Amino acid sequence: MSGTESAFRETSAEPRTEALPYSHLSLELGHLYMEDFVEGPSRLRRHFAAVRPWADAARAGLGTLNSDKRPRISTCFLIDDYFSRLSTPAELIPPLLEAAAEAGLTIDYLARESGCAGPVSGGTEPLAGSSGRRDRVELAECVLRRLVESPPPDSTGFRPPVSRTGWLTNGRRSPFQRISPALNSTGAVWQPPSETGARGHSVFMDVELWSGPEEERSWSCAFLAALWQLVRLGLLRDNGHAVLTPTPWEDKEFPADWDALAPVLRLDPRAAPFTAYVTSSVLPARFLPVEHAVRVILDQVHVEAEALGQVAERCAAEGFNVPAGVVDRISYVFPVGL
Amino acid sequence: MSGLGTTSGPVLACGEVHTCLLPTSDAVDERAAEQLLRLRTDEPVRLSRHPSRYAVSPGLLTGVDCWMPSVTGTRSRAVGTVTARAAIVEGRVLQSSAYFSAPACGPDRRQSWGHYLVRPGCLIPVGRLPVRSVAEGFLAGPRQNELDIGPIAESLTARISRHRILDLSPPLTTADTSLRWTATPAAGGKETSVLFTKADDGLRTVELRLPHATTPAAAAGLCEDLALHDWLLTTVAYKLDGLQAGYEDSRLLKVLCSLVDHLLHLWMPLSRVDRTLHTAWEELDENSGYSRQWNALAQRIRDQLVLRAVRSRSELLTSD
Repeated sequence: MSGTESAFRETSAEPRTEALPYSHLSLELGHLYMEDFVEGPSRLRRHFAAVRPWADAARAGLGTLNSDKRPRISTCFLIDDYFSRLSTPAELIPPLLEAAAEAGLTIDYLARESGCAGPVSGGTEPLAGSSGRRDRVELAECVLRRLVESPPPDSTGFRPPVSRTGWLTNGRRSPFQRISPALNSTGAVWQPPSETGARGHSVFMDVELWSGPEEERSWSCAFLAALWQLVRLGLLRDNGHAVLTPTPWEDKEFPADWDALAPVLRLDPRAAPFTAYVTSSVLPARFLPVEHAVRVILDQVHVEAEALGQVAERCAAEGFNVPAGVVDRISYVFPVGL
Repeated sequence: MSGLGTTSGPVLACGEVHTCLLPTSDAVDERAAEQLLRLRTDEPVRLSRHPSRYAVSPGLLTGVDCWMPSVTGTRSRAVGTVTARAAIVEGRVLQSSAYFSAPACGPDRRQSWGHYLVRPGCLIPVGRLPVRSVAEGFLAGPRQNELDIGPIAESLTARISRHRILDLSPPLTTADTSLRWTATPAAGGKETSVLFTKADDGLRTVELRLPHATTPAAAAGLCEDLALHDWLLTTVAYKLDGLQAGYEDSRLLKVLCSLVDHLLHLWMPLSRVDRTLHTAWEELDENSGYSRQWNALAQRIRDQLVLRAVRSRSELLTSD
């Protein structure tokens, strides 16, 4: 005896999440300030020569993780055109690619930092409770709204949201004191900040996510770098659609204006997918504080369950061990000489 | 999310639902409902048109690390996130719902926060969770410094109610209600059970024992449906309380008309409740007589309106 089977579905009630292709590893071949580029080709050659052995090591390390298949690895380079624009793409990019090639490295994907902050398509409705002055929705703002702050012990759910203060910590701040030190002769006790989950002693960090008024927010380097990691991990979506998908670029020439370039360019048509299960970045050691901040931020981003699920499913099918936590999927090398 | 009572799944789900009339003079259309519930730009509002118009926001998470409620005084700490979502039914009723689920035990110390964020809506105990004591404590209401998810739902209601597209002049004065619920897996072979308690202060508590593998989201869905219909019935019954026969009052007529305009068409139990949980509602309805009472009230409103129309017509004729 079998009953009648029927199903009724409404697509508006069950939205889809776009699937992405994934490499095993996204390898970042460095990050430089505009000032570094101004120093000329020798600076770039020195950079890539120092990166090369570590790039090889990252590849070799992956080989042991994935024994039966050739690992898919894509390389990328992020250009900072958000905080300063001292040079044009036409002047800056060709020497960069040449210097990489001289060291035997290929840059598969070239990204612009302002692309990480920039507007995304769709989502023009003003948010509930917001003023609705801006109709342009920035990718950075979408990620900001996905932050779920790590609660210090004894948090029952009341805290000023990070969206109001613009600061995110890895623990609990020192209590604010209204009394100036001059008046505080009674020795009212100063209380230290604390890191949540510290082992013995705290390393407390308070990260500035943006500065400036709401209409012209300037996103911090740390916040954009956290976003860059999420993009590379293929864990961001905008209303179910992929964001910052690479645009093919096979032209040898580059335009004179940064805004004429797509946020992420695919320079090698045969490159493995841009997004990957895990990432590794070879960076100058001066980026260490920024990347510590990136880890503090990533640890508090609530990634869409569907996107996480898609990666987990693919990894399981490929027998690739991907850590469950997002922050555990990123790694760094800070070599001497960069 | 894995279901109640499954291996490594939760053994307890708890939540609170706030129900109120959307504070605006007319029901809002689908576009406006979408605008109100767009709490994040990168995730869509889910819209459903059948069997009734229903819009639900993406889930928002709130991180907590605190003592769990307890009746026995056994202290247990849990860390994780509470999910909250808001829904608008037929453009007229606003519901905010906060809930979490919890496994029987967890690691002996707090993990990195990322560990909890990949398990959204889950509170993981530090050590063992005294399930029965927490469930009873949750329904009894939290004590100081214990987990209290009511304000999480309330703040969502407040956030949406402040939106500039609402004119804040509802056609009826109504009381908001809160429904606090717990769900545990029904013991092997036992039937689903629902224990619904209604207090005078607008708080309702529901103790559920649900089929094995019921997801916390499905349990929350059932409780949102219970809360909606309980609110409808309470609101309409209150409006008709002490209605005087033959009493001609234009204010009263206005109330009757408002009920027809805004609430009478909203009664539609089980519209979005998981099929496996239908028996829970049916049992409750059988015992409480909610549907019978609703039908009687709806009929009474219609009868009253007909009666008034007949009277005013006969008055017109006699005055001629």
